[in-house]
Amino acid sequence: MSIYSKDIALFYDEKEILKDISIEIREGKITTLLGPNGAGKSSFLNIISGDLDFYNGEVLYNQRNLKEINIQEKAFLRSVMAQSQPIVFDFSVKEIVEMGWLEKGNIKYSDNFKTALNEVLIECDIDYLKNRKFNTLSGGEQRRVHFARSLLQLWRESNSVDPCYLMLDEPTSNLDLFHQIKMMNAIKKLSTEGIGIFMILHDLNLAFKYSDYIAILKNGKIISFGEPKSIINDDVLSSAFGVKIQVNKKDDNIFINYV
Amino acid sequence: MLSIINLKFLNSAQSFILFFLLILLLLVLIVSFSLGSYSFPVLSILMGNTSAIEATIFTEIRVPRVILAAIVGASLSVSGACLQGLFRNPLADPGLIGVSAGAALGASTIIVFGSSLTSAFIFSTFLLPLSACLGSGLVILMLFLLTRGFGHQGVTYMLLVGIAVNAIASVGIGILTFISSDSELRSLTFWTMGSFGGITWSLLIPALIIIFISFLFLLPILRNLDILQLGESEAKRLGVNVKSLKYRIIFASAASVGASVSLSGMIGFVGLVVPHLLRLLSGVNHTYVVIGSALLGSSLMVFADLLSRLLIQPAELPVGLITSAIGSPFFLWLIFRINKI
Amino acid sequence: MTKNFRLILILFFLIFLNPIYVNSCDRAYNPSKITVAGGSITEILYFLEEQSKIVAVDLTSNFPEETKKFPSIGYVRNLSAEGVLSLKPTLVIGEDDMGPPDVVNQIKKTGIDIIILKEEHSSEGIIDKIKCVGEIIGEREKTIDIINNKIMPIKIELDNLSKNLKNQNIKVMFILTMDSGSPIIGGKDTSADGFIKMIGARNAFDSFEGWKPVGTESIIDAAPDIILISNRGAHSYKNLENMHNHPTVKYTPAAINRNIIALDGMQMLGFGPRTIETALYLSKKFQMIENN
Repeated sequence: MSIYSKDIALFYDEKEILKDISIEIREGKITTLLGPNGAGKSSFLNIISGDLDFYNGEVLYNQRNLKEINIQEKAFLRSVMAQSQPIVFDFSVKEIVEMGWLEKGNIKYSDNFKTALNEVLIECDIDYLKNRKFNTLSGGEQRRVHFARSLLQLWRESNSVDPCYLMLDEPTSNLDLFHQIKMMNAIKKLSTEGIGIFMILHDLNLAFKYSDYIAILKNGKIISFGEPKSIINDDVLSSAFGVKIQVNKKDDNIFINYV
Repeated sequence: MLSIINLKFLNSAQSFILFFLLILLLLVLIVSFSLGSYSFPVLSILMGNTSAIEATIFTEIRVPRVILAAIVGASLSVSGACLQGLFRNPLADPGLIGVSAGAALGASTIIVFGSSLTSAFIFSTFLLPLSACLGSGLVILMLFLLTRGFGHQGVTYMLLVGIAVNAIASVGIGILTFISSDSELRSLTFWTMGSFGGITWSLLIPALIIIFISFLFLLPILRNLDILQLGESEAKRLGVNVKSLKYRIIFASAASVGASVSLSGMIGFVGLVVPHLLRLLSGVNHTYVVIGSALLGSSLMVFADLLSRLLIQPAELPVGLITSAIGSPFFLWLIFRINKI
Repeated sequence: MTKNFRLILILFFLIFLNPIYVNSCDRAYNPSKITVAGGSITEILYFLEEQSKIVAVDLTSNFPEETKKFPSIGYVRNLSAEGVLSLKPTLVIGEDDMGPPDVVNQIKKTGIDIIILKEEHSSEGIIDKIKCVGEIIGEREKTIDIINNKIMPIKIELDNLSKNLKNQNIKVMFILTMDSGSPIIGGKDTSADGFIKMIGARNAFDSFEGWKPVGTESIIDAAPDIILISNRGAHSYKNLENMHNHPTVKYTPAAINRNIIALDGMQMLGFGPRTIETALYLSKKFQMIENN
């Protein structure tokens, strides 16, 4: 079970944004996409999440072509946490999180609404915020609320075997250190529960610490893909980001130094 | 019917307010049914021991008028609430953004050009509401194109577009005024002032059906309207068919505003004030705001009509004057409040 | 849009409630080429057989039929100075609804004789107006002759009949239009009120002033015996039959006894010579109604 992108190419205004990208996002694994600004990371995420549909190549969800999956079914297969828009009306935090609860066709889970809601509120450490107005929260708090909403969208009973995926675009931006770690741990836990994770990160240390696979994107091309330990070296990173980077490996941990 | 509304997302305060508004509506209806410039005890009508003329006044004149006021109030408020949700803009109101003016233009056009073409029955029962719906539909379609598919463009942009649309519609009505005869002209001013007088069951029932159907169309998508507030792409990711959501709201608003404007003329600010009062009371989710708007909107309109009938009797105040007198200061206050945020 | 429109409407009416000052009935300096702003004055000029002096008329001048041949200066309340002057009149005669005031002042400044007659809604008022027009155009003797021969007999008959009618206390409602919403009805101090009094009947709505919309219940409550409406107002119903069945009037004694009467608007409310004839006609008709 996996999401498989096959020879994805994207043109926009006659400019080639992505070139022949083939990646597999596996269930129960964290796959992280790294790369400098403008490399095409978000475009790629939008393609495999199904938001963009004018690309060349194929995206297969568990062997099914993404373009043949309807919008409601897609919502059950994957949840996306991207950069969010301002919200005009004064919804409460609880209401925003509840929007992740998919109603139609989800009858077999609908009895668990209250349980699921409480679980994600606690998991994301926003239980104490639940009656506040969303618009009065700080940027980091709002991020955690959106994360909780994405989790609620993917919530399954513990014995469920339905395959599903979580896609995150810079989930830790705006978060303080404590909540960065807390969110990454939550993501890790989801992957151990069988959910396939695909995320874009800027923090190399977090990426190498938590990912099962890492892909590095530069100028629309994958220049390196594999397990952190196998792909990591000074030259690849330095050429990808255009700064001198030094990798220190100590026991099982990897530390990145910028020199 | 309850199965198509998702009541799970109402909190207990909201359920209480909706219940209270239902009681309020019933009370206002009872008062409105019993008071009028022709006075007689309503109880005796229900018991059946009155003169024929009193019974006729009650069933043929007072009851249809009160019901018209109720459904017009409900449809303007509900479409106001839905359009605010769709545009993600708290200042969207059928009157302010030109939807009512479009309906009035549609109706005026048919009054000036069409009244000699068909029999009075077909004309006033079908042609007039149809052309009003067409007018309001065209305006919403135009807004749709001008805001690039209702994309979030900011509060000011929408109001500016509304001013332009209103101006265009008023040019149209102005041209019609110019070429119309004296008595047709008088009836054109009616479209800009609003009135519930002269309603009959045969005119009321088609409008009642149109508005009822458009409400049924709206009720199942209230939850999706909430989700739309996260942004269009976010709503799609959550499985909302955004295109069908937009078309439903366009269709239902155009139909219900058109049907009510064709019978009552343009009545301003109800669609703006009522949803905001509800949001101030308890929360912003659309299940609560829209159902509440239907209840509060009809209560307020029935009450405004009661004032219009009783204040300077036997003459009548135009009901649009009453709603605008209440609504325009509220609108100013709202602009200041939004500016502060 | 509605806001502006309403504001303009209110200003419009405020301005016209203030009468512009009214001239006395002196002979005009040169009454050879007259522009008329007011249907009743045109009517009077024809009545006095002085129509050859007319060079232009306003839109309310629609009687007799041949007035249509004259160039039109537009609607009496909304004239344009150049439009009025373009036909090089030597005299402009209007009534106190002539306007707007700025335009009237502009015309005055050009030095052209402009005379504005005061309108009084009674038989005496009509006779005064005819006399006044006669004096202005310098035909005093002829005018008095015509009044004595043609108007006075009608007035005397009308006075007798209307005195009779007063005891019968007939309630009349005058509808301006009833196209949409509530019908617009003439209250106290309107031309309709004056006309109803001339007939010898009582205005069913003398509790408010001016023209106002009135709801169905109030109409039934007022129980008018007779409803008067202008042909134009009734036009929207194609015929009087439809009008009798219209829900707003259906339950009044007037509709039940089939006493809705539609006549030309200017014939009733123009307050020219025709108005007094029409009042007599209606006064006769109402006596027959009561005799039934």
